[in-house]
Amino acid sequence: MLVENLLNHISCWGKFWFGLIFLGSIFNETLEKFDILSNSSYVWVLAFGSGALIGLIAKIRGAWL
Amino acid sequence: MKESSEIAAEFSFEKEKAIAKSFSQRFQWEMILIGLGQAAIWLSLWPLVLSGFLDLWAGFFIACLCACFAYLPSHEAQHGNYSRGNPKLRWLDSLVGHITLITLKFPYHILRITHMKHHAYTNDPVKDPDYKNAHNTSVLKVLKNVLDGSTLQFDKYLEVFQNDKAFVNAFHQAIPIALFYKFAPLVLVIIFPFETLLLWWLPAKIGSVYTTVFFSYYPHLGTSIGRYQNTRFWSHWMPRYLNHSMQLHFIHHLHPSIGHYDEPKAIEALKPFLIARAVPGANEIPDRVTANPIMRLKI
Repeated sequence: MLVENLLNHISCWGKFWFGLIFLGSIFNETLEKFDILSNSSYVWVLAFGSGALIGLIAKIRGAWL
Repeated sequence: MKESSEIAAEFSFEKEKAIAKSFSQRFQWEMILIGLGQAAIWLSLWPLVLSGFLDLWAGFFIACLCACFAYLPSHEAQHGNYSRGNPKLRWLDSLVGHITLITLKFPYHILRITHMKHHAYTNDPVKDPDYKNAHNTSVLKVLKNVLDGSTLQFDKYLEVFQNDKAFVNAFHQAIPIALFYKFAPLVLVIIFPFETLLLWWLPAKIGSVYTTVFFSYYPHLGTSIGRYQNTRFWSHWMPRYLNHSMQLHFIHHLHPSIGHYDEPKAIEALKPFLIARAVPGANEIPDRVTANPIMRLKI
């Protein structure tokens, strides 16, 4: 039951979580490479927010590309 | 194409099968070496890159090569070509099949069972799990679909084969591994963002694109249903070692138990049988299969 719920959740929200966690982490690490942004304490909001947004758009579209 | 009743007795299916069987005996040690070797190299990239011994971009390049070599050893395992029907050696099929696919992040059980269905129902729009890849209109569309993940319609085939107990069981067996491949990159990326992207996620995508284009798309492009019609001989500018000899994929669909590295010899031996059946392109198969044996074919 737990596994079934987990699979249903992944199939429904997988793209969003991938965007938030995976893309967000990549964006965050990339933005921290820029000196101008690395001192800002809110850079992670931008990074993870962009990742989540991309993931959400992919979820709504039903496809990444 | 000629019907079986029109084929001379010397080119009968039984004789074809006997010749194919003679190429289906050898122990496939090369594939085991490639499968376990690429996985070992890929795993070793992590400590090497993380400790600074190897540049991340060099690691990315090597990981991409590993990912391109990852599928074929598993493919041999899917056909039981390591155990060769010996129940005591089935563990070897599972071991190589699972380990080599780590690089591509695919569960072996699912690939095995969907590949068996691909062989059983090649080019069937409803039942062939590779249909969407093989019947795309361009390489670019294949590329897009693979990157998008939209060719992996596992849910659809679970529904199509819902009455096939072995199929459904294999899917259920694969769930823990599938979940591991979903969650592991998400955990790793938090700790090692660029390393996870360049050593695993992107190489797995590139390896999947390579595999799909050369294993699914080109060999089945424009083909139809039927034992001697569902795969084709095709030409490519690449020497066959760079595209895993997939110009010879035709012979694999005829006799999947022939070991991959024995296919050139098998195709030489079976050429008269294919000509007798008027298989398109069979006349142009060279007597000796070389680096790029069917370069001239325009099929």
